[in-house]
Amino acid sequence: MSGETASRTAAPAVDAFDRVALGIVGLAIVTFLLGWTTLFERTSPDTAVAGISLFALFGAAFLFAGVGLIASGIASNVGLFETTADRYTGLGTGVGFGVVGFATGGLVATILFGVGATGNVLAGLAVALVATVAVAVLPEDLGTTLPVGLLAVVWGALLAAGLVDVGWVWDPPSLDAAFHADVVVPLVTIALSLLVVWSGAIVSEGFGSQGRQNGAYMLIGLNAFGMIAVLLLLILFVVRKGLPKLLEGAQLGPGLNVSVPFITNGVMMGQQYNGVYPAIVGTVWLVIGAVVLAVPMGIGAAVFLTEYAEQGRFTAVIETATNALWSTPSIVYGLFGYAFLVPRFGNTDSLLAGMFVLGFMLLPLVVITSRESIKSVPDEYRDASAALGVNQWQTIRSVVLPAAMPGVVTGVILGVGRIAGETAPILLVTAGSPTPSRARSVLGSFQFMATPPFVKNETLLQASSALPYQLYAVISTGAVDLGESFGWGTALVLLLVVLGFYAIGIASRIYFRRKLHQ
Amino acid sequence: MSEQTVTRTDEEQRSNSLTVDAESDERLVDSWTEYEFEGEAAITVEDLDVYYGDDHAIDSISMEIPERSVTALIGPSGCGKSTFLRCLNRMNDRIDSARVEGTVEVDDENIYEGDTDLVQLRKRVGMVFQSPNPFPKSIRENVSYGPRKHGDVNVGLLGRLLGNDDRDVEREIVERSLEQAALWDEVSDRLDDNALGLSGGQQQRLCIARCLAVDPDVILMDEPASALDPVATAKIEDLIEDLAEEYTVVVVTHNMQQAARISDQTAVFLTGGQLVEYDDTDKIFENPESDRVEDYVTGKFG
Repeated sequence: MSGETASRTAAPAVDAFDRVALGIVGLAIVTFLLGWTTLFERTSPDTAVAGISLFALFGAAFLFAGVGLIASGIASNVGLFETTADRYTGLGTGVGFGVVGFATGGLVATILFGVGATGNVLAGLAVALVATVAVAVLPEDLGTTLPVGLLAVVWGALLAAGLVDVGWVWDPPSLDAAFHADVVVPLVTIALSLLVVWSGAIVSEGFGSQGRQNGAYMLIGLNAFGMIAVLLLLILFVVRKGLPKLLEGAQLGPGLNVSVPFITNGVMMGQQYNGVYPAIVGTVWLVIGAVVLAVPMGIGAAVFLTEYAEQGRFTAVIETATNALWSTPSIVYGLFGYAFLVPRFGNTDSLLAGMFVLGFMLLPLVVITSRESIKSVPDEYRDASAALGVNQWQTIRSVVLPAAMPGVVTGVILGVGRIAGETAPILLVTAGSPTPSRARSVLGSFQFMATPPFVKNETLLQASSALPYQLYAVISTGAVDLGESFGWGTALVLLLVVLGFYAIGIASRIYFRRKLHQ
Repeated sequence: MSEQTVTRTDEEQRSNSLTVDAESDERLVDSWTEYEFEGEAAITVEDLDVYYGDDHAIDSISMEIPERSVTALIGPSGCGKSTFLRCLNRMNDRIDSARVEGTVEVDDENIYEGDTDLVQLRKRVGMVFQSPNPFPKSIRENVSYGPRKHGDVNVGLLGRLLGNDDRDVEREIVERSLEQAALWDEVSDRLDDNALGLSGGQQQRLCIARCLAVDPDVILMDEPASALDPVATAKIEDLIEDLAEEYTVVVVTHNMQQAARISDQTAVFLTGGQLVEYDDTDKIFENPESDRVEDYVTGKFG
């Protein structure tokens, strides 16, 4: 359709075409980001630029983008510009818009006409069917621009005209929930921005295979960017909520004297600043204990399963079992510890029981990741070592394990992140008072004797608090009246402790990698 | 004839094995593989059969490999030459489905007898592989890996504390091996750099040095230059010729020019794991007895 008119195309016009498309993509990226920040309350719907509210700005942007997309599509279709559009948009894109159409049709039917559950499904299906067929058989330059353009124009008009504004609420009678504009608008904006970016990217490359490549690239890239943005916003959220409490009463100086009472104090009657020190110590000991128990056992099991055991039904069963163990809910581990370990460790909640339970939880992941990384060590190393007459165990120790270490460490890092935040098992096997005043001194209470068992440590057999457990107790049970801000402070400290473990893990991974490559 | 030879299936091949090859009209003659040479045989193979499951990979091969010389094994893909090579230091033990029958004598000892010490065997019969496979360790550690693991060189903390640190011995072994492998001049100033930073050709020579460090009598090479560029290949070829002054070298190669350039005697394997002809390299390439070998070395088949 565009080929016949190619000779009429003037270069400046193509330039303008490109610029419009790139402008649309840029605008949609901006609305995408603003959508996220609004969702996480970093920007407020009331924010006004030059007297125009944020939502109205969204509306204007979408109106412009929608009109631009529709115009580009039609212009390409009637042959104003030389493009390489295919004859049909294709079923894949058609089905994609079918899904979009189902959601849109169903929602619109419910909101506008209030039809019942069956009605909105039927409406959604009808719209989906029409959208799928229409998009699939349309020429590519229309099929990729018109649906997106129409959605953008409608949404833009709703926002610009103020039909959906800050005070808008959708309160469906069939549900208990009500949907407020400050959540709905950013969400729709984010989703629609992705569509507009995709469409604009296709337009800017003149459709065809180049266009599809560019569309996919922008869509996937923006998605990845969005993921990272969510993560950062989440962390920022916790930091913003928790930092005031964390720094309460904190002093810098004189000299190198830094005092942060929230981190260095326990909870005591009549104390000016209460803190989470005992819980930090508890968490750190629990993680250290679990790692010390699980890592050697896990690596040993992985070495046996990968290097020695004959690959067959036995290893397959073990593999399935380890995977299942890793997905077992933590409360199940906790209950096991409560019923099996606690009675054997002095019949009281104890640090040691917590270490064992968390160690059991960590074990399957260490086995899984260690197996994978041992498997990925090239067989050439094993062959080379065997050809030198070096026996299998020495080969494993001096060639296979060093090469597998970075992968093993990655697994341990992932696992530590999970167990450090576990609440349920702690609640069952370790927890005493959630807000103790003094930390357990594990290192200080080792006692050595001349008679077996030669060493004992009473502290390991005593209950302790831990950060996630303390957080749970402070926030939800109401047994401890320290206020919500104390909980946020605890959450921030927990985040920092986990990040600290990550840092240690990543540093050791870098160390092991360097040993391999330097 | 050549086309028929290529398209024959293994099944047919096996059914008329050994004596009469109906389609090629060629009789395998025992005398073609009876190679007379002066001096001692480093390795004597008798009636060697190898099976991978049901697959008969090596078909009753007997040959004597003379010491301090280069023996080339050539033949088309899948003819069993690599399998044969791996029998000579029992690397086939590492493949579960492989079954070996017959005898292989190294220094008049049958290495397939029950009580063979694999460590001692592989110290005597070293191996270099097709793609360079240095360990992800320093150049020094790569070369001294064998001696260290065999306890010939003790550089551990305990050794240092007890005062019998073998650092000098290690340095000597590393230098000697690298010099023998013609790599010393290129790496002597960066022995503690990672071996993976070397070029492919250097890596392969490092692997040869690593093999030489355990002081073998025989070096088996499985297409040692097939992953390398022409310059690196030429260096490896020169090296092989030098090594033959002190060591018995057995080289598997796809490259017939290479076999002609570097070897003293050549064994030609053809499909079905049969040794067809084994003689002086000049004889094989200029005037072979077998028609099929002639077709193969002149490039008409294979």
